[in-house]
Amino acid sequence: MGFWKRKTMAKTGQSGLDLTSQPYAVFEDVGLEMNQTEILQGVSLTLSEQRIGIVGLNGSGKSSLVRLLNGLRLPSTGSLKVFGQPVGAVRGQLPRHVGFVFQNPDHQAIFPTVEEEVAFGLTQLGNSKEDARVAARALLRRYGVEALADKPFTGLSEGQKQLVCILSVLVMDPEILILDEPMSSLDGLATRRIAALLRDLSQKLVMISHDLSLIDGFDRILWMEGGRLKMDGPPDAVLPAYERDINLKAQAAAADQASAGPL
Amino acid sequence: MTDRSVVQIAFYAALIAALGLLPPIAVPFLSGVPITAQTLGVMLAGVMLGPIRGVLAVLLFMFIVALGAPLLSGGRGGLGVFAGPTVGFFVGWPFGVLVTGMIMKATKSWPVWLAAVVAACVGCIGVIYLFGVPGVTLITGVPIDKVLIGTAAFIPGDLIKAAIAGLVAQTVSRGLPGALLSRA
Amino acid sequence: MMSLYVPGQSWLHRCPAGVKFVLLCVISAVLLAMHDLWLLGLAFVATLMLYASLGPQGVRQVSALKPLAFLLVILFLFHLMTGDWQQGLRLILHLGSMVLLANLVTITTRLDDMMAALRPIFQPIRFLGLSPSVPALAVALVIRFVPELLRVYNALAEAYRAKTGARGSYRLIAPFMIQALAMSENVAEALSARGGASGFEPAGSARDKNAVGGAAMKEEIPS
Repeated sequence: MGFWKRKTMAKTGQSGLDLTSQPYAVFEDVGLEMNQTEILQGVSLTLSEQRIGIVGLNGSGKSSLVRLLNGLRLPSTGSLKVFGQPVGAVRGQLPRHVGFVFQNPDHQAIFPTVEEEVAFGLTQLGNSKEDARVAARALLRRYGVEALADKPFTGLSEGQKQLVCILSVLVMDPEILILDEPMSSLDGLATRRIAALLRDLSQKLVMISHDLSLIDGFDRILWMEGGRLKMDGPPDAVLPAYERDINLKAQAAAADQASAGPL
Repeated sequence: MTDRSVVQIAFYAALIAALGLLPPIAVPFLSGVPITAQTLGVMLAGVMLGPIRGVLAVLLFMFIVALGAPLLSGGRGGLGVFAGPTVGFFVGWPFGVLVTGMIMKATKSWPVWLAAVVAACVGCIGVIYLFGVPGVTLITGVPIDKVLIGTAAFIPGDLIKAAIAGLVAQTVSRGLPGALLSRA
Repeated sequence: MMSLYVPGQSWLHRCPAGVKFVLLCVISAVLLAMHDLWLLGLAFVATLMLYASLGPQGVRQVSALKPLAFLLVILFLFHLMTGDWQQGLRLILHLGSMVLLANLVTITTRLDDMMAALRPIFQPIRFLGLSPSVPALAVALVIRFVPELLRVYNALAEAYRAKTGARGSYRLIAPFMIQALAMSENVAEALSARGGASGFEPAGSARDKNAVGGAAMKEEIPS
């Protein structure tokens, strides 16, 4: 059975996406404005690495940046090409190739039971319900959680929920997997399990994380601040600088509070 | 129809169900009379979604009840619901929501709470009783004036729900303005 | 899954949903046209026997009439007072049989099968440019949302209680709506991130399996 084999056919679909293109994403002076607020400004980037981590404080534009990659948001200014095509033109095709895992599993499951949730991606691609169901079960078995297939999603543990969310995206066999703080609701053990699963994937990863230990082995780190790219480089250069910056900000805030007197 | 519309329609259908499943909510003005909040969900569908999406949300809920989900307050559901003497009220829901949504659209210059209370009273009380009361007469042969007396006991509760719908619409329109689709 | 369906292997369970549905419509129409008390009594007894044919589990399901019982008694008393007890009895037999028959279809048909049997009524939405899979998606979303909404409400009620010591209040409904709506906005985004309500638009003219097939469906094509 040809299950889970990577594609061997030429990866140029009728959509005009060049799925082998390197870099896979090119940002040129991209800006994003929502409700008269500047979210991103002047972002220029080329992405080609296997695993990219993104850090930054809340509200720094990280989430919006990754949402541009699969067409959930479109840039207001500048140009963004993914797989060689402008995102606006291929918006409908992108989710199939750029999978997205959200922060809160409770907010992304669409179906009541695990099997339906995992099978959905395949029916989306035009497969019959039966085929999709069989394939979903096979994928669940592969990750040792076939027993969950008929369980209601609401009754799962947090770690199981996030696993199901990741599998329901992987089932479409995307080229790129985007993860927006996937571990923030998980305990230590579940975090390690999911991290191990991610390590073994063949997909290119783009992951936002506040837990720096999860991304310190990645190929490249982007540091976002105030809607701009503040620093970009290998983890051993960016992560220590980012931590130093947080410490300085915390000390400054503490000093402010002290000078303002007791609360 | 956008993805967001599909999710919103499903959301309000689920809200009607969830409000019917919650334990009856105590209302201070009517001491001791607990009211079930299910029809509050119907009012909110019309007030928040507007006529088209609101009606679709109610129809979706009714469809799921017909499929066999016990989502009417008191755990009722299934096809039997459509054979009972009060089916007229149930059938009146989409029409009531249609009117509620249309009033919301027509009163964009009014404060949200006022428009919502008026829309809920006219659509989700007036129109629904307009279907429900003659429905009971038609099915049971009880004269219409007697049916009116029998159903009058529910009107104070319905008026309170309309007031809560106004409060909710006003609060949501400030906290999450994009969610008031009937005025978008 | 929440449903009134009662699992079983009876002949009524095996009967196709579409057949049951059409029969229900026909029998209900016949019952409506029937006015003879003896015939109606016979129909009511026959309905009870149908329940009995499902075994003891079936007999227990006659309790579906319970929510209606109070109303039926009132209606009977009303007709008794106006001097037409026969009309009252006729009403009870009419409504009782029809509600029980409809309920019989519900308790012997799985939700999925009922959905499949009712699918033809959704054909018109094709003309609106929507995929016929949208209603099924919407139904699944509702069934997924209901427990989630209850969870959001209960969490709020708990927080309210921790602060005030009071039970749930109507005042919780507005904040509940805001939290729940925010949740639904995220689900809408997640739906878009996985191809949207109508699935992927075919990339070319035809839905070429190789162009759209996912991981599990892929056949190897030697290059």
